[in-house]
Amino acid sequence: MEPLINVKNVRKIYRMGEERVVALDDVSLDINKGEIVCFLGRSGSGKSTFLNMVAGLEKPTRGEIYVGGVPVHKLTEEQVTLFRQKNIGFIFQAFHLMPMMTALENVSMPLIFRGVPKKRRKAMAKESLAAVGLSGYDNRKPTQMSGGQQQRVGIARALAGSPKIVFADEPTGNLDTNTARDVMNLIIKQARRHGQTLILVTHDSSVAEYADRIVTIEDGNILNMHMKGQGENDDKEN
Amino acid sequence: MSNFDILELCFRNLLRRRARTVLAVTGVVVGTCAIVVMLSIGFGLAASFQEQIESYGNLHMIEVYSGRMGGPVAVGSDDRGIINDRNLAKIEKIKGVAAVTPVASEYLTIAIGKKVAGTEIMGVKPEVLEKFNYEVQEGRLLKETDKNAILFGNQVPYWFYDPNNYVWSDKPTNVMTDKIILTANWDYGRKKTSGSGSGQDIVYKEYKVKGIGVLAAENDQSAYRVYMKLDELEKIQAQVRKERGERVLPSVTKSYDRALVYVGNINDSSAVSKELRNMEFQTWSPSDWLDAMKQTARMIQGVLGGIGGISLFVAALGITNTMIMSIYERTKEIGVMKVIGANLRDIRKMFLLEAGMIGFIGGALGSMVSCLISLLMNTVLRDVIGMALGFIGGGYGSSISIVPWWVVVAALVFATAIGMAAGFYPARRAMNLSALESLRNE
Repeated sequence: MEPLINVKNVRKIYRMGEERVVALDDVSLDINKGEIVCFLGRSGSGKSTFLNMVAGLEKPTRGEIYVGGVPVHKLTEEQVTLFRQKNIGFIFQAFHLMPMMTALENVSMPLIFRGVPKKRRKAMAKESLAAVGLSGYDNRKPTQMSGGQQQRVGIARALAGSPKIVFADEPTGNLDTNTARDVMNLIIKQARRHGQTLILVTHDSSVAEYADRIVTIEDGNILNMHMKGQGENDDKEN
Repeated sequence: MSNFDILELCFRNLLRRRARTVLAVTGVVVGTCAIVVMLSIGFGLAASFQEQIESYGNLHMIEVYSGRMGGPVAVGSDDRGIINDRNLAKIEKIKGVAAVTPVASEYLTIAIGKKVAGTEIMGVKPEVLEKFNYEVQEGRLLKETDKNAILFGNQVPYWFYDPNNYVWSDKPTNVMTDKIILTANWDYGRKKTSGSGSGQDIVYKEYKVKGIGVLAAENDQSAYRVYMKLDELEKIQAQVRKERGERVLPSVTKSYDRALVYVGNINDSSAVSKELRNMEFQTWSPSDWLDAMKQTARMIQGVLGGIGGISLFVAALGITNTMIMSIYERTKEIGVMKVIGANLRDIRKMFLLEAGMIGFIGGALGSMVSCLISLLMNTVLRDVIGMALGFIGGGYGSSISIVPWWVVVAALVFATAIGMAAGFYPARRAMNLSALESLRNE
């Protein structure tokens, strides 16, 4: 089967004045449709950079990235925005909800950008909020909700447009242990139910346990990959 | 993203930062007011100049004289500067000209009873009087079918006096009578004193005519003249010349000494005058002064508008500042919007619209306040400001400040454009903001 995400020899170098920082050295990876993959690594290991490039937020210095056959590394800013609107949902560590908007409006945001008419997007957002167990919270502002509830709104927002791929960058980083578990269960449940590909990025190994595959990244390279229920099957040190 | 959604978001953002929005809008209001009020004073000044000139005469009217001084009229096609039927037809075709009449004029004595008055009798084509927008105070205008009829200028009835005792009365003489004598004898009605005559007095013919109307306009050239049908006056003229023994030069084509040109829109007056001078005619019109005065008014207006412009410029800086601050504040938000699928163009549109909206609201409020200030200046503050304006030659007019509707529209458009221009840089900055960096700074 053709993999949904196909990353070939990607390298990313940041220039910071005189210094050149190698964020990703040489990463190649395939991710299948419906797979839940977790990238594990310390901060500065390059895992977030990898995620950003797959989402089209950054361009690789070298290498190729195909998502559903689309060469993301070649798209213009305009095309990549359209690509993101259609295919990708984001869940952030710090929730990043619009403070002046209600839960329902926050969930509608990606739909607004997509140009979904008001009536339809309201229904879609309601449905999405209900799916994360927040029906009845439509008109709450983020400041009137707990951290867990805010992240649920964040999840509802990521899922509202039924994207093929969901990115979650440290989704539980700002939550306490119990809430974190609930939120993780919710994310996994939703991804499975909709057959979405979920890419988690974390430094927390307890989060990693939810994934089908754990990819450990260190200093810009893939250190190893674990398939669930198997041992290390693929050393990719180079 | 639909434009309606962008508009809604923009309003929410403006309301969210209420205090700052209000301050930025206030800046624009003050700037707009400064410009509009300053300009309105300029317009008031221009209008007061015009009123002044109108009191000198009718701005629609151009008097045309032959450009050839004396001498026999050249035979042939070169008739430039000569008022003949061919040239009159040409004049009638000039853009802006509403009516033309050739004019013959003769100084004659008008006698009613024992009283006389000497004045210029103008022979005109009767049908143009109506096109000249002449109105009568009593009686009617001349008609083609009239015979021996004369139409009086508004002031002429006050001029009649008894030539034997030189007593004027301040009451107008009733001229609506058919017992009027018209003659070229300037001594008509004076009792002959023996020995005063030179011995060879000319016996002038006396014409019996009737007054059919008095014009209403009190202060233009027409008020001091008496009108008559052109062909009738020409007959009188020919007779007078014969009586005086003047030689009449035979000319190939008939020509006139003068013509009156009526311009429909006074803004065309100077163009028509210029055209006439190009045709080698001499012209005279009160509107000749109008241009010079307009220029002065425009200059004063420019200075006043410039002063206003400075404050609107400061207001634009205020908008830019507000928008830049707002972008700093919303850096993270912009980043999130980009990540979850906002178009770059939509983000730019959003910020441009916000800045434009500040300009628009400010412009709208500013225009309203300006109209209010203008009203106050024309009523309550009239005397004070009128005195101040007297120094630069204005303040005579009926209103000190005039706000034409197009200035209000222009102010609105201008304020909005200024807002957008001020928002351009911040909007571009917001658009180019790196989504990642903005999310990183937590």
